[in-house]
Amino acid sequence: MRAALSFDSAPPFAAPLRFFLTAPLFGVLAGLLLAFDGGDALASRWSPAALALTHLLTAGFMLQAMIGASIQVLPVVAGASLSRPLLVARVVHPLLSGGALLLAGGLRWGSGFALESGALLLGVGIAVFLGAAVVVFRVRSTSPTIRGLKLAYVALGVAALLGILLAFALARGWPFELVALTDLHAGWGLGGWAGVLLAAVAYVVVPMFQLTPGYPARPAWAFPLAVLGALVVWGTSATFGPPWLVRLAQVFLAASGIAFAGLTLKLQAQRRRARADATYRYWQFGLAASVLALAMVASATLFPALARHAAWAPLVGVLLIIGGFVSFIAGMLCKIVPFLAWLHLQQLARTRVPSMNQFLRDDETRRPWLAHVLAVVLLAGAALLPVLALPAGLAFALACGWLGWNLLQVVRRYRRCVATVEQGRADDGTPREPDDGAA
Amino acid sequence: MSGIRNLMTDDHRRCDDLFAAAEQAAGRGDLAAAREAFGQFHAAMLAHFGSEEGTLFPAFEERTGMTGGPTQVMRMEHQRMRALMDEAAEALDGGRGDDYLGVAETLLIMMQQHNMKEENILYPMCEQHLGGDGTLEGRLAGEIGVP
Repeated sequence: MRAALSFDSAPPFAAPLRFFLTAPLFGVLAGLLLAFDGGDALASRWSPAALALTHLLTAGFMLQAMIGASIQVLPVVAGASLSRPLLVARVVHPLLSGGALLLAGGLRWGSGFALESGALLLGVGIAVFLGAAVVVFRVRSTSPTIRGLKLAYVALGVAALLGILLAFALARGWPFELVALTDLHAGWGLGGWAGVLLAAVAYVVVPMFQLTPGYPARPAWAFPLAVLGALVVWGTSATFGPPWLVRLAQVFLAASGIAFAGLTLKLQAQRRRARADATYRYWQFGLAASVLALAMVASATLFPALARHAAWAPLVGVLLIIGGFVSFIAGMLCKIVPFLAWLHLQQLARTRVPSMNQFLRDDETRRPWLAHVLAVVLLAGAALLPVLALPAGLAFALACGWLGWNLLQVVRRYRRCVATVEQGRADDGTPREPDDGAA
Repeated sequence: MSGIRNLMTDDHRRCDDLFAAAEQAAGRGDLAAAREAFGQFHAAMLAHFGSEEGTLFPAFEERTGMTGGPTQVMRMEHQRMRALMDEAAEALDGGRGDDYLGVAETLLIMMQQHNMKEENILYPMCEQHLGGDGTLEGRLAGEIGVP
């Protein structure tokens, strides 16, 4: 209850913004690495380049955006403000950025030192964030979003611990079953952390951005629990058997994800917004790609022969991570960053300020969106035809760079407006309307 | 289902419906219909704010002694939304459909994140401290126009 008293305190813009601006840079790096490494990169999920790419996207792009969004969203949806959000951001951001770079470098160039130090930096960054986010556990779960956030943070901790274990096992040749452990790490990271966090946020932002009906209560409460339950069953039966229970848990997990995506598609079909905008387009595309990826996961679990095709796992990875998660995140960033610019400017100016669409016009998001779709199509193609790796990597770097550029434009316009307001104050003590600042 | 939380939450949804009607009309370019729908939305929002600021919040503050906390923030956000609604109405009156859609989008997100705080945090607190007060509930229902 005490936490609820502080729910006014939206964190300073600078706290989430650094994560939002860094995320696309990891996408650019991933695209360039793929272009540089060429067809070998996607030849198998175990190639050094594929492992590096995966972690530039998950521990880089996705983690940055998701931690930044968490810092922003906790006070709004849970009434749980981090006590010193800017300090937390200043500490966590360099740890995560450096950690993801070292980890990816260690995987790509086979350096045990980089691998271990990268994993440890990421681990410390995540631990500091979770230590600050522990306030959410003091809030009663009055909505499925609050419960979802709590479970997602638990899963982030588990995924990080498994990841650190894997990094050390790989660097020091510890005798672990690396394949099974990697699958479990990916399950906790992509399903438990990213998937549940996405759902918890979707319960809020899908109705909010699209004016759809709300998520029905029972599946909304059940989904996070179902995912974590399946992951616990998977982990214990992978250790103590029986093997069929592992497969059952995996199929259940994929089916839960498909059900969530299907429900979201159904709700979006009932949207009442006048126009399709960037967020909507990214979400529709992301949901379709995720359903395809999860259907592939489920069928390969039921028919293991399918997964023996070398292109199978890379294709699933492209569809789920880039087609799905990167799409959702890019779509939300296009909306959240301009809104925050408006909100903070409004608080500062206390007078009429340009609306959020003047910080980023919808038509400015159209071409980066097309570049993103093209990149996903080329990337999926590159899993099958290695010759496509170069154009696919360049297209993805372009799409991410464009997204980052758009977000930078928002910040530039915001700063110009702030300067106008402050100039007005300096001139005559009254804030000036920064109406022309954005355009 | 009744109770303060449901009553006020349902009114948020009613305002959402009116918002959507106005935005759809503006999206079609039918500014006359948009003005009509926006007028209803505007009135429903002001009634909701008025009822919270005049009845619900004071009752909550009196019961809990929390005067500088959540209710104060909600009042401040109401002010922001009032300003946005004025701006949106001006755009519609001036026949500037695109400007209206831009302001409406900002208003929508402002409104939704505000609703979220009320529905997830403040209304449950109100329910906890003021639940079972039939007179208060009746007054709120009257003020926001629920039969």
